[in-house]
Amino acid sequence: MSERLFGAMTPETFDARQPAFFRFRQLPMAPDKVVLSNLEGRWLVLDRPDFLAFAQGQVSEGTPLFQKLRERNFLRAYYDVPAATEMVRARHEFVGAGPNLHILVLTLRCNTTCVYCHASRANMDQVDTDMTVEIAEKSVDFILQSTNPAVTIEFQGGEPLVRFDLLQHVVRYANERNEAIGKEIDFTLVTNLSLMDEEKLDWLIENRVQICTSVDGPQDVHDKQRKLPKASAHGEAVKWIGRINERYEELGLDQTLYHVEALVTTTRPILDRWKELVDLYVDLGCRALFLRPLDPFGFADKTKRLIEYPRADYVTYYRNAVDYMIELNKGGVEILERYAAIFLTKILSGVDPNFLDIRQPSGAGIGQLAYSYDGKIFTCDEGRMLHEMGDDTFEIGHVMTSKYRDVVGHEAVRAVVIASQLDGQPDCVHCPYQPYCGIPPVHSHRIQGTLLGRMRESSLCAVHKGIQDYLFEKLASGDEETLRVLEKWTTIRPRDHFVQ
Amino acid sequence: MSEPLEATPHAFVRADREDGSVSFVVDESVYPLEAIYGATFTFLDRCFVFLGREGEGQVRVVLSAKKLPIADDELRGWVGELANELLACAWRGRILEQNRATIEAVTSQAIGGAMGPPSLDELEDFDFSEEPFEDPLGIAMSWEEKYGKKDKSQGGETEGT
Repeated sequence: MSERLFGAMTPETFDARQPAFFRFRQLPMAPDKVVLSNLEGRWLVLDRPDFLAFAQGQVSEGTPLFQKLRERNFLRAYYDVPAATEMVRARHEFVGAGPNLHILVLTLRCNTTCVYCHASRANMDQVDTDMTVEIAEKSVDFILQSTNPAVTIEFQGGEPLVRFDLLQHVVRYANERNEAIGKEIDFTLVTNLSLMDEEKLDWLIENRVQICTSVDGPQDVHDKQRKLPKASAHGEAVKWIGRINERYEELGLDQTLYHVEALVTTTRPILDRWKELVDLYVDLGCRALFLRPLDPFGFADKTKRLIEYPRADYVTYYRNAVDYMIELNKGGVEILERYAAIFLTKILSGVDPNFLDIRQPSGAGIGQLAYSYDGKIFTCDEGRMLHEMGDDTFEIGHVMTSKYRDVVGHEAVRAVVIASQLDGQPDCVHCPYQPYCGIPPVHSHRIQGTLLGRMRESSLCAVHKGIQDYLFEKLASGDEETLRVLEKWTTIRPRDHFVQ
Repeated sequence: MSEPLEATPHAFVRADREDGSVSFVVDESVYPLEAIYGATFTFLDRCFVFLGREGEGQVRVVLSAKKLPIADDELRGWVGELANELLACAWRGRILEQNRATIEAVTSQAIGGAMGPPSLDELEDFDFSEEPFEDPLGIAMSWEEKYGKKDKSQGGETEGT
């Protein structure tokens, strides 16, 4: 088929050694290596002399390098158009699926004060920041209009356990309403765990609510960043992570799939303490660690003088921590880094795990929606955070008055969809990581004042590039054991559900 | 009084510390007017933006502080960011032109997939009375309208069958 499409470009009539379209980057920490990728995201890491020979169309036919280039679709004369098309389609399977993730802010009230609070929390007596039952029900009605056959309702805050009664009502109401609709519904609770008790835990397990929390490092770091009056926020989180995992085990659930998901928000004090951080997560029984950098939203903007850091320092911390995690895995410990797993799944498997912030187009509006306590709808949770900072750019409707199609077809959603396609982005169009990457426009809007962003100056681009440089170095290392670990991190196993 | 601003190219950039403003001369043969509009627009929340004709093919951009006093560092930051944003806008314009078809296709699929088909109620509310949409390529025209015989009264050769 490709030979018919490109009749004049057959090996007989065209120099078979000429390269097809490719992007390339010299690895900063291994300058003798060059990463190249093509339109559909196939990749190679070549030594510099081989790369130069390839780029100049001088790789001799019949050599192993020529064969490798041909197999990976890097030669113009042999370019397999149907295979490339199929791969591009597979990488973008999520486009058109509709909003899956629905973030419900039950209240802004929170019993913890985090120095970087992205959500702009409210004091415990500010009951006016609680969602009403009517708004909660309208939000669920709205969510169930999504074109996506599977939806996840994620309870956020503030601290959602402050309104556990409302959370229970939403779960019951959503399940009841869904009986006639038949969507697949998941529930996730994002909590600091300090208001957890055995009764609540029983109910959450029985009603299939997945639990997710934050642990920002050893006790001194965590308690400094996340202040809980009259108690240790770290102590509470650690105690309940252990207890919840114990309950899952008692229920006979597969521990590799069913455990509390914990996230770290990286602040300056933890940068040098990556080993302690990884050890802590392993000791807690966590199978995954998400080394997230600080976001420029909420209180983090005001406290950055104390907790921010240059992104080059973050990349060093990331490399050290993941190096250590790989070594632990070689010794039989199961712990993966979430960023690496997301990128590696795209790089090695050719499919997209649909992580909404690292995909193109970005998930804002078309993959996720956020519902604030007062019924306002936003393209994403970060859009809601900006609203709390006085910027309404990403507000796209209200559950009491807006129609579903008007909200997801809102001009802000369209702008975000266009802005997040890297085929229109200077720098990205020439970056070999383009097929695996994505930048949420809300981030560029916040730090650069433009939805489109300037990637050369973007702190998020620096993080994504730094991580992918590291991963390609590892892939090029040829160390079989390392490759086995990285391959294992890409395995996606369905979690049908934990309570049967 | 307008004077050079340290660590910026003096040929293009001048600062007026009393007014709290910095100005930058942009060559239209290097940066299209669309790029100048796009780049300067991103500064509206930080400063007042004035555009004026400097000379043949040149636009002067003045970024003026909303509150005084303002430090040289901030003025330097503005003008540096403006220069970078101008380049990003100019290059992005070209890239978007080249990749327009892909971006439009993905956008339509993403938005269409998220919106789903209109309900009957929505169709009932739809206002069909508006003027027809613009159709510069004649996609909605019949073959006869587009390629058929011209009215003889208009003269000239006829095309088509």
